Amino acid sequence: MATINYRLIDVDALDPESAFPAELLTPPCDPIPTSEIQSLATHCRQLLQRGDQEAALVAALENVPYGGDEQGKELHLGTVLEILSSIKAVEMSPLLGRLYASPSGTELLDVLTKYLYKGMARHNNSASSTSTPGVSSHATGVSSVSGAREYGVAPGRGDGGGMSVLLSWHEKVVEIAGTGAIVRVMTDRRTV
Amino acid sequence: MVSRCRFNQISGGGVRVQASNVSSTATFHENWENTKMSQSLRPYLKCVRSSLTAAITLSNFASQTAERHNVPEIEAAKSPEVLLNPLTVSRNENERVLIEPSVNSIRVSIKIKQADEIEHILVHKFTRFLTQRAENFFILRRKAVRGYDISFLITNFHTEDMLKHKLVDFIVHFMEEVDKEISEMKLFLNARARFVAEAFLTPFD
Repeated sequence: MATINYRLIDVDALDPESAFPAELLTPPCDPIPTSEIQSLATHCRQLLQRGDQEAALVAALENVPYGGDEQGKELHLGTVLEILSSIKAVEMSPLLGRLYASPSGTELLDVLTKYLYKGMARHNNSASSTSTPGVSSHATGVSSVSGAREYGVAPGRGDGGGMSVLLSWHEKVVEIAGTGAIVRVMTDRRTV
Repeated sequence: MVSRCRFNQISGGGVRVQASNVSSTATFHENWENTKMSQSLRPYLKCVRSSLTAAITLSNFASQTAERHNVPEIEAAKSPEVLLNPLTVSRNENERVLIEPSVNSIRVSIKIKQADEIEHILVHKFTRFLTQRAENFFILRRKAVRGYDISFLITNFHTEDMLKHKLVDFIVHFMEEVDKEISEMKLFLNARARFVAEAFLTPFD
């Protein structure tokens, strides 16, 4: 007994009743194979090539791979971002207005907001933890500023990796769907 | 120390005066929208503003694990069911904001732009100055979240004492000012360094 500092034992963790059931935190979603997401991506790309961006966006936002694995989700994020960046700035507001007016409009815009935030968060992960790909928690994202930074060299001052596209989309979505869309992104346990 | 002055204004007795004068906030918003700022800064700050407005929806929530305790759930992280999905808003790879919401508290972490090594040092000194005086800043967190330069911790008690939109205004204003302040400090530093170098090297001329 002398070897263990019993005061530091978290006794609550050992109580089976105190543990919150994990299935309540992550609602059950049917697992989706990556091949299915891949075929959806191809379908969206075909629609894009035909010039039907709206149909591509709706198709991508209606079939959200909640049950997919990390790789599949990344793939779908790439599809959504590709569609978003192909739509011109002047077409954003009318397109979002049409989406919002459709029967499942709120749901669509919520999903879109999820992807906007994920798109902005993804960049951090890839930028800050290049050595360990696949780290999903950005809260603990490792800072590379002091370590991998090259002294005296200014980092790239380009577009910021398409962030401005996401930011202007975000602005338009909030104009149409309100802050409620953001609240639903925060509270929805089904993450994209 | 623009930020400090502003903060005292929010947290001190000034709140009640401003609370009665609702129109002043409206004009602040308009001014904020109209002020000349970089083309990519405006959507960034707008996004931060709307995300913060959505995230600062806090209520009093006593700890579920420790009796008669009331702790910020985002810091305690003892009950996963009251933590919400974190949001990241980023302008580019060097500037971003992480918002971690929970039922009774949110943590806002800001990564300030650091274009070169001097700015990196200046940001470090500046944030250190602020965090060492965290007691006077009410919402400032004593230690920044890893990977970020400065963090704020807003609890339901802060939103009860202070006006929510003023808190949002403060953080957005802080982000706006801190960039300006850092680049200003850098200019002064360079000017001073040049002067010192000239004065030092004159005898050898």
